[in-house]
Amino acid sequence: MHLLGQTLISGFLLGGMYALIAIGMTLIMGVMKIVNLAHGALVMVGMYVTYICFVLWHINPYAGMFISMLLLFVLGSLIQRYMINRLVEVDSILPENQVLLTVGISLVLTEVIRFIFKSDYLSVSTGFSGKTVFLGKMSVSVPMTIGFVIAMVFTYLLHLFLNRTDLGMTIRATAQDRDAAVYMGVNVSRVTMITFGLGSAFAAAGGSLLLPMFYLWPDIGHLFTAKAFIITILGGMGSTAGALLGGLTLGIAESLGATYISMGYKDVVGLVVFLLVLLFMPGGIKSLVKR
Amino acid sequence: MKKISSIVLAVILVFTVMLTGGCGNSSKSSAAGEVKIGVILPLTGSEAMFGTMEKNSFQLAYDELKAAGKTSVGGKEIKLMFEDDQSKQDVAKSAAEKLINQDKVAMLSGGYSSSCTKVIAGSAQTMGVPFLVVTGSADDITKQGWQWVFRGAAAPASKYTEALWDMMDKVIKPKTAAIIYENTDFGTSSAKAFRTACQKKGINIVFDQSYESGAIDFKPMLANMGKSNPDIVFAVSYVMDAAMIVKQMKELNLNTKLFIGGGAGYTMPEFKENAGNASDYVASTTLWIPNVKWPGAKDYFTKYKEKYNKEPDYHGAQAYATMYVIADAMQRAKELTPAGIQKSLKETDLMTIMGPIKFEDWDGYTNQDKPNTYVVQWLKGNLQVIWPQDVSTAKYVFPVPKWNER
Repeated sequence: MHLLGQTLISGFLLGGMYALIAIGMTLIMGVMKIVNLAHGALVMVGMYVTYICFVLWHINPYAGMFISMLLLFVLGSLIQRYMINRLVEVDSILPENQVLLTVGISLVLTEVIRFIFKSDYLSVSTGFSGKTVFLGKMSVSVPMTIGFVIAMVFTYLLHLFLNRTDLGMTIRATAQDRDAAVYMGVNVSRVTMITFGLGSAFAAAGGSLLLPMFYLWPDIGHLFTAKAFIITILGGMGSTAGALLGGLTLGIAESLGATYISMGYKDVVGLVVFLLVLLFMPGGIKSLVKR
Repeated sequence: MKKISSIVLAVILVFTVMLTGGCGNSSKSSAAGEVKIGVILPLTGSEAMFGTMEKNSFQLAYDELKAAGKTSVGGKEIKLMFEDDQSKQDVAKSAAEKLINQDKVAMLSGGYSSSCTKVIAGSAQTMGVPFLVVTGSADDITKQGWQWVFRGAAAPASKYTEALWDMMDKVIKPKTAAIIYENTDFGTSSAKAFRTACQKKGINIVFDQSYESGAIDFKPMLANMGKSNPDIVFAVSYVMDAAMIVKQMKELNLNTKLFIGGGAGYTMPEFKENAGNASDYVASTTLWIPNVKWPGAKDYFTKYKEKYNKEPDYHGAQAYATMYVIADAMQRAKELTPAGIQKSLKETDLMTIMGPIKFEDWDGYTNQDKPNTYVVQWLKGNLQVIWPQDVSTAKYVFPVPKWNER
């Protein structure tokens, strides 16, 4: 019995952090209809920023996260303004151009980081990295719990932002109908810039929360792009609640798979869930809520 | 304005293509003055750290040989051409074909992951170019009867544990064992050999599972393993997975009498750095240690540390020894053609920092050196040799103290 508990706890906590990374992607995908394959690379850059803050100035990763979010907001906005916008606004020959562009951006980011830091594995070890609390026989990792709580707070704040503020509503309006938003006087290019910035900042936050218990190397981005992609589809594009549920579902599914099938098939479990959702619930979790 | 910037973009693109493609092309003009050796290693991707260490070691050995005047053979200069396989089989294959067909290399070397090594070996065999493996360890690489494939500095994965089994029989004497391994060629190969050996010795395997490398959370698997309460754990992992596994075992308060790594990650300095004090008392099999008795081993370690400011482990030593084997074979080759080098490699009998290297046919292997293996253990932050006893640098600790007694 405690094995099931341990599995669920691990999956749940990890899923929360997956969700935070995926929320960034779902924002960008939902609002701009762009498949952003550079998302994982942005997570990676965010993690490196947090890492530098820790190594050079001994800033706790949870504080460094805010610096990293700010920087990534700027980086994301710039990428959107000067690179992606150029493709969105022009009728290009191939609609897949955005995909090619984001893949390119991700390669450039990865190789620049490799140029600076080499391919070494880096990790941040803080006093609490290995701390655990025992609930009965189940061990709960402290950094994971902190990460989970912060991820939930961010998700809730984003939810409030999108539903209660003017800017948030403008973002949602642009997501629903870009042309109509333009006619209503929305400065769409500014909105998309902010959205991309926000998405990148959330990517950085998710990465930074993982840093105290995981490790870092330039190619880590692919892992996150894949996970965020699955979760975004699971949850339904552009939905915060959907991404949250999607993240938790993926985390728990992976954990259960690892315990009861085999850890070698952990990724298979996630992908099977993904396929089932695509086949039987193409709108994602979001479509369930609507009905 | 738009036009200008798109032209600029196009120019940049063209330059990038030229730069990346250029590494290979520049050497086409080489003519008669050079004999080229292709070295395929993972220089980017998740295994880039190992690939870089091996490339550095190749370079270190090459510079030493050059200083000793051993890099020119009959007026021709030996030239190393490095290619990146990105730890991907398809890239490894095209790298091998490019080196053989375009660059006309005299022989190939490199090969880090077993899966890539296998692909390169296949290409080398079909195209008739000698290939000297540096690290790739899956058993079947030298079990195909392939005359063009040589493995000197690396042991077959199933033989990594020779010294360990000796120690098992005399000291550990476990009744039950758990096996966890990454689901790669190297992982499955090592696990399979360990499993067979356990069955032969009547050790009960109570847990046996593979995992996908790069996981964040190993706890479900580890908790499951803890339930079966094994005497010893045998784990095959690369470095960061290794660190995550022992850290999370500590977090779960999971105790065994001895945790043994099957080489690869568990001997690396990065393992200790990342796992922190969770690395204490972890034992591992290994093929090389800096204080081994072979001549030049300690020298290599200090030189590498001075030059690159990092500690090498056995992977670097493999590359370093391989470079010496290549230079030696080149010097003795009657003609610098693939066939000539193959013949001279086969006659190799060289003392290296990995011990004497000879390419022999035994136990179904072809052109395979007989390896020397050791058991090491992390004691107070240092990697100490604990078995075989005649070369040990410290007394083994067994059974290891429980997490809460440390």
